[in-house]
Amino acid sequence: MKLFYCHIIALLLLALMACKPKEPMLSAHSGTADFSKFVAIGDGHTAGYMDDALSLHGQQNALGTLLQMQLQLAGANPTILPWLDPSNVGINTQQQARLILGYKTDCMGIQGLSPIRFSAQGEVVSLTQSAYIPNQKYSNYGIPGLKMIDMVSNLIGNPNDQKYNPYFGRMSMDQFVLPMAGTWSSVQENVLFGGYPTFSSIYLGLEDLLPYAKSGATQNPMTPVSGLPNVGFDESINQLLSQLSSNNAKGVIATLPDVTKFPYFTTIPYNGLKLDAASVVTLNQIYGPLGFAFHIGDNAFMIEDPGAGMFGVRPMLPGELILLSVPLDSIKCHQMGSVFPLRDEFVLTLDEIQQVQSRTTAFNQIIRAKANEVGFGVVETSPFYEKTNAGFVYNGASLSAKFVSGGVFSLDGIHLNPRGNALLTNEFLKAINVKFKSNLPMLNALNYNSVLFP
Amino acid sequence: MKGRNLILVALIFFCNDVELNQSYGQGFQVNFQGQKQQGMGCAGSSLVQDASALFYNPGGASFLNASEVNAAVTPIFGNVMFVDSFTNKSFRTNSPVGTPFNLYALFKVKKHHRLKYGLSITTPFGSTVQYEDNWIGRFALTRLELKAIQFQPTISLRITDNIGIGGGLVFTTGAVNLQKDLPIQFYDGSFGHAEISGKAIGWGYNVGIHFKANEKLNVSSSYRSRTNMKVTSGNVQFTVPESLNQSFPDGNLTSGIPLPSVATLGISFKPAKRWDIVLDVNRVGWKAYDTLSFDYALNSPSLLDTKSVRNYKNIFAFRLGAQCNVLSLQEEKKMMLRAGLGYGFSPVQAGYVTPETPDGNRVYFTSGMTVFLSSHFNLDISFYFTKVTRSDRNLETLLSGTFTTIALAPGFGLNYSW
Repeated sequence: MKLFYCHIIALLLLALMACKPKEPMLSAHSGTADFSKFVAIGDGHTAGYMDDALSLHGQQNALGTLLQMQLQLAGANPTILPWLDPSNVGINTQQQARLILGYKTDCMGIQGLSPIRFSAQGEVVSLTQSAYIPNQKYSNYGIPGLKMIDMVSNLIGNPNDQKYNPYFGRMSMDQFVLPMAGTWSSVQENVLFGGYPTFSSIYLGLEDLLPYAKSGATQNPMTPVSGLPNVGFDESINQLLSQLSSNNAKGVIATLPDVTKFPYFTTIPYNGLKLDAASVVTLNQIYGPLGFAFHIGDNAFMIEDPGAGMFGVRPMLPGELILLSVPLDSIKCHQMGSVFPLRDEFVLTLDEIQQVQSRTTAFNQIIRAKANEVGFGVVETSPFYEKTNAGFVYNGASLSAKFVSGGVFSLDGIHLNPRGNALLTNEFLKAINVKFKSNLPMLNALNYNSVLFP
Repeated sequence: MKGRNLILVALIFFCNDVELNQSYGQGFQVNFQGQKQQGMGCAGSSLVQDASALFYNPGGASFLNASEVNAAVTPIFGNVMFVDSFTNKSFRTNSPVGTPFNLYALFKVKKHHRLKYGLSITTPFGSTVQYEDNWIGRFALTRLELKAIQFQPTISLRITDNIGIGGGLVFTTGAVNLQKDLPIQFYDGSFGHAEISGKAIGWGYNVGIHFKANEKLNVSSSYRSRTNMKVTSGNVQFTVPESLNQSFPDGNLTSGIPLPSVATLGISFKPAKRWDIVLDVNRVGWKAYDTLSFDYALNSPSLLDTKSVRNYKNIFAFRLGAQCNVLSLQEEKKMMLRAGLGYGFSPVQAGYVTPETPDGNRVYFTSGMTVFLSSHFNLDISFYFTKVTRSDRNLETLLSGTFTTIALAPGFGLNYSW
């Protein structure tokens, strides 16, 4: 009898513990879109380029990959990428490995956290071997460095051409089926070969601006606003979207953020020249005759500017930008930016910033207009990037565009890290949901890695 | 007497490690201090049936005719599920079973029949909530443990045949432990962690007046004061990557948390010989909980003192119940069956719902019974059920979704009088 009661009580306790709220039944649907043949087209963001290299981990957390993962909840095709090596060393076009955060001793002998290369050399072999598999269509044509005007280029797949893009070369069908003499296939031909996509996402155009900005506006001119396909932005996007929207296919295309607000350009302050009394005396002796005065504390760096008076030297103005490519040890120990002005290639002046911004605006107007013409959704990226520049709270975590500590950008200061890609993916998902009445769920961006600390 | 006190002390010691669980009262209030009341929708402050009057209304205690000891425990099986509104993902708690308890000892004074004195030991506030690993709100909270035990020595005096007054000093000892993950990652991708812990004490009082209008109608009013629990020597511990150790210094902290005042108006009515109907109205002074702040002894640019706005509001709760003597009117053979329900407003305003107290307005249902084993000894059981749903977007963490809570609480009590 006693045993009987014990059992009854045990059963009751189990019943009490088992009484839990039930999970809601929610299933994603694609609305008026058809995700069954999805392709992502873009530059390094779409490919998973981050920490100044492409690596397997980056590919797995790429904008294109994360977006497709959510679209698969509503019928999208399997994810097929030209995966890199599981060693995760990574590779960029200078044969370097990806960046990680590590300890580095500077010229003053002070050890601190700094981006360092994961290993002495990148996974060079990955870029020299073809990853093309016949009869298998890549679902992600994210190609680091790809410009809008490159989509129909017959040169970037040609290993013998100066414009050759090895990230594209390894995935192009030409690597397997040798092309007819002189006709290497374009990215677009690869995308459309073997069947048009039913849905595409496009994030192209940053590379039409960035190489110029990253050179301190000294080389790599920006893509002209108008011109023929392969030359001008407007005709290039026009032919791309008219192809992708044929047969009533759908898609989304993203506008471009202001790249001059990326940490690559904003991390080093224009007035970061910290001077003590002795340096002030020295610099005032040098620059006094030119009318420039220095004081103890924070001063504006000195830069080269051919337009600035007889000597082409002046202090930086508020709003002007120093690039992350600047050799910091030269600033700290060899009087770069003070006695020796910063070279033009490390600086964006107000005029140059203005050039980049107005070109961005022009591109965005074209993107919106063309998208409307073909019935594509528009992903406005600027609100996301602006929110990130200001800093925001997300599920209890503070995120911002600050280099390293902000948690959104990777260590190259240009590309987003996995967490940033997840946040940007959510912007794509929102735009798709609005335009095509689908109900794709968002990603929890905090499940994706940020900068890893030693 | 001495022997009994020893048993009490032993019980207290044994119970010192109790876990409480949220979701059985508004905010982190726990309304389980008497099995007979719990059977009747947690109402009954004006129906004096046992020594739990020491807590519910010190004025009513003087109306008990016997000395009495009473012990009860109410295990709480609470399950919370959070459904994130952006990802549609759901996450659950695996909180330990809560065990609020109460111990009462009430004694007659031999030569002064109108005077009673006693001690109550109760757990009217507390919460332990533990979310599943890697849940979406991990950077807001992973675990919260709030424990409070109140000791209340009490005197109750029946100043006239119809009116009793009483009061007690309330000493509260408590402990808090709050943990969350930090959005800082080690090389292996795992996240940093912060744990705040501390002990707290506070003082308050509990006063009440009981008015017996006639054999059928009783009215009572009581007021339990607010208690400010001060954490004076708390501690914070960070688990962060080595390169960030200096940015997150372990160290001492001070903090505080208020336990709100509760004003109660109770009415009990006897429509027939075997029946009692009870109604309690509570006004809980939750407005006292406006900010949760942590003042760290060691600050760094990454570790600043925090002030987290809670902005609770004062609330009403309405509790209604009835009991019926189903067997016999003789004292030894009685058996009481009870049922009740209640409605409580949530003190947590829109925009301020946190994983600590995923609280919402609630309806709850209770039932209970008392078996009289002899004229000295009776056994109480009760059962409580509630389901609470609350959707919100927290203004501080921007965590957005719906919390659903189901709580079941079976209670057991023993009562010995002489």
